[in-house]
Amino acid sequence: MSLPAWASGWTPDSLGSVAIVSVDDEALLGEIVETFIPETTTPGAKSLKVHQFALRMIRDCYAPAAQTTLQQGLALVDTTAQQAYTKPFVDCDSTQRLAVLTQLAAATDPAGKAFVDMTKRLTIQGYLNSEYYLVNVEKFNMAPGFYHGCVPVQKTVENASR
Amino acid sequence: MSYFNIDSVKERTFDAIVVGSGISGGWAAKELTGKGLRTLVLERGRDVKHITDYPTTMMQPWEFQHLGQLTRELKEANPIASRCYAFREDATHFFVKDAEHPYVQEKPFDWIRGYQVGGKSLMWARGTQRWSDYDFDGPARDGFAVDWPIRYADIAPWYSYVEKFAGISGNKDGLAQLPDGEFLPPHEQSCVEKHFTDQMAKHYNGTRPIIIGRCAHLTKPQPIHYQQGRAQCQNRSLCQRGCPYGGYFSSNSSTLPWAAKTGKMTLRPDSVVHSIIFDEKKNKATGVRVIDAHTKQMTEYYARIIFVNAACLNSNLILLNSTSNRFPNGLGNDNGLLGKYVAFHNFRTTISAEHEGFQDTKTEGIRPNSSYIPRFRNVFKQETDFLRGYAAGFGSSRMTNIDTSGMGEGLKSSLMQPKYGNWRVGSHMMGETIPKESNFVALDPNQTDQWGVPLLRISVAYDDNDEKMIRDFHEQMTEMLTVSGFTNIQTHDVPDKAPGLDIHEMGGVRMGKDPKTSLLNKWNQLHTCKNVFVTDGACMTSTSTQNPSLTFMAITARAADHAVKEMRKGLL
Repeated sequence: MSLPAWASGWTPDSLGSVAIVSVDDEALLGEIVETFIPETTTPGAKSLKVHQFALRMIRDCYAPAAQTTLQQGLALVDTTAQQAYTKPFVDCDSTQRLAVLTQLAAATDPAGKAFVDMTKRLTIQGYLNSEYYLVNVEKFNMAPGFYHGCVPVQKTVENASR
Repeated sequence: MSYFNIDSVKERTFDAIVVGSGISGGWAAKELTGKGLRTLVLERGRDVKHITDYPTTMMQPWEFQHLGQLTRELKEANPIASRCYAFREDATHFFVKDAEHPYVQEKPFDWIRGYQVGGKSLMWARGTQRWSDYDFDGPARDGFAVDWPIRYADIAPWYSYVEKFAGISGNKDGLAQLPDGEFLPPHEQSCVEKHFTDQMAKHYNGTRPIIIGRCAHLTKPQPIHYQQGRAQCQNRSLCQRGCPYGGYFSSNSSTLPWAAKTGKMTLRPDSVVHSIIFDEKKNKATGVRVIDAHTKQMTEYYARIIFVNAACLNSNLILLNSTSNRFPNGLGNDNGLLGKYVAFHNFRTTISAEHEGFQDTKTEGIRPNSSYIPRFRNVFKQETDFLRGYAAGFGSSRMTNIDTSGMGEGLKSSLMQPKYGNWRVGSHMMGETIPKESNFVALDPNQTDQWGVPLLRISVAYDDNDEKMIRDFHEQMTEMLTVSGFTNIQTHDVPDKAPGLDIHEMGGVRMGKDPKTSLLNKWNQLHTCKNVFVTDGACMTSTSTQNPSLTFMAITARAADHAVKEMRKGLL
């Protein structure tokens, strides 16, 4: 008897890497998404590999111009960090990193703002749809399922539709 | 060459041939094999086996590389399919890609197709509302199309018959315009949907009932469903991937395995039906010409009766392409009406709103269904300046508000503690359209597909009646939502949304009483070629507002029963 197709063939890691930027730039993006959503008592965006999700979306789903926004933005992040703190972004502490990204988001240079808007949006999307978030915050459970049309509200959202 | 070999002909001869394995073809296969007929089921697409061929069905949401979104490449290559709500990362493999099966749009028409065993029954939206006599009486009362040759009493027992087997959940609402069926327990309405139901009863004196939708989900499986190998619906609402539990009805989970169990079914995927063979001496159809999807070789198969269930527009195409000296314009097409009077459901518009009350309540879990607003316009008498009316889906959920401002720990803290916003409701119109001669399909005189079959030309459009109906939906729904205390009411109309995305195309081979004005009789037999039955959407004389698949199933089971009785009398 053959196994159903979904019983093999994928693992979360088999999704693979996304080679539209250099290894260094991928690491830089990892620090950027971690700045948006840092590790605290709960995981941050970097350990959930949200930066790889962002790269995959930019490569596969976004308009080609998004890759330019990405490349230009990554360069801008480092030059902005160099100007402000005379070191690369990855060597900055978390306060300095926040300051760099905040400055870019407010900058008159549209490339900086476009980059921060895009990567922040993707970071939030990736984080809110990660296994960690869906299982632990939304209490997502594929099956067995149920539906109750009218229950008292709790303080936070659970079992949201998906 | 074995073509003239007697044994070869014998091997290619069956009691019945069913063209298509979707929702109606599956029923034809089940009924005919169940009555002992050796039945060949032809499917133009690939085989899709229940469970084993649902590659994405157990994938968690985070396991999709693009979280369900389509890639740019796929979108650009498939502008038509991409407009379908269900053509998403988890189910693209069940939809026809634009380039694979071209057609000619004389007017914009998004033709959504599922070429595989099970057809679109794998990805359908599963709404199963019965018709009433207010639907079957429609054309005669309002003076359009032709009178239906059947009434509710003819089809009611067959609704019951298919409902029990398919498994339909619903509430017995006692509505004349939407008859009750053989229901499994209903899904629950949300607080806000119940509120809307109550407000409607109060403000409209019972004339605008809102109910929970009836749908093909096993909310409480019965022995007949366990015998099919199906189990309780798990409320995953991932139906378009194919359901490993058989929680909703599909050909793959239900009728086809049931037919296979009889030992009487031969299922032949990758078999493109070119045309039906008409024998002028016998004055009946003797079989079909099939092109192998891969080798492109043509083979003939023979049978005493042929059920055409290729899906509405393709059933039209096959009949139009079945030409002979007797029928130069397509099989059964003496009156020139084959392919004409195609209609659909107007799904162009939606409305949304919020309710600021019920703040201490919410829904929990997932419901693969929504509430339903049965048609209330022009039901018992004509009351507007347009004909017929509309039904509508009506869903609700509590919005979640996440503050996405800022960055760093502040942002994260907001993300980890989403807050409930207002209740939000949405409703989509399902409007009846009036079949017209000018809405038609025809064969392209020059272009063929890679199997040598003429391309279908589609010329179907909205009309003034549809525009008036959209305005009325906006007006009436706005009023209904306003009196019920909803706010932020917003209508959405997309005038350039082409017909087709409703995926409820019907007609072209309509039933009727008179061979001069219709193609099929009341048993779905071609008037002039009685051993050919058409029981999918193509047979529909008018469209009503209800989701049509349940009616296709009932009509198919009824026609199959008639066919076998006639065969036993020696009449076919």
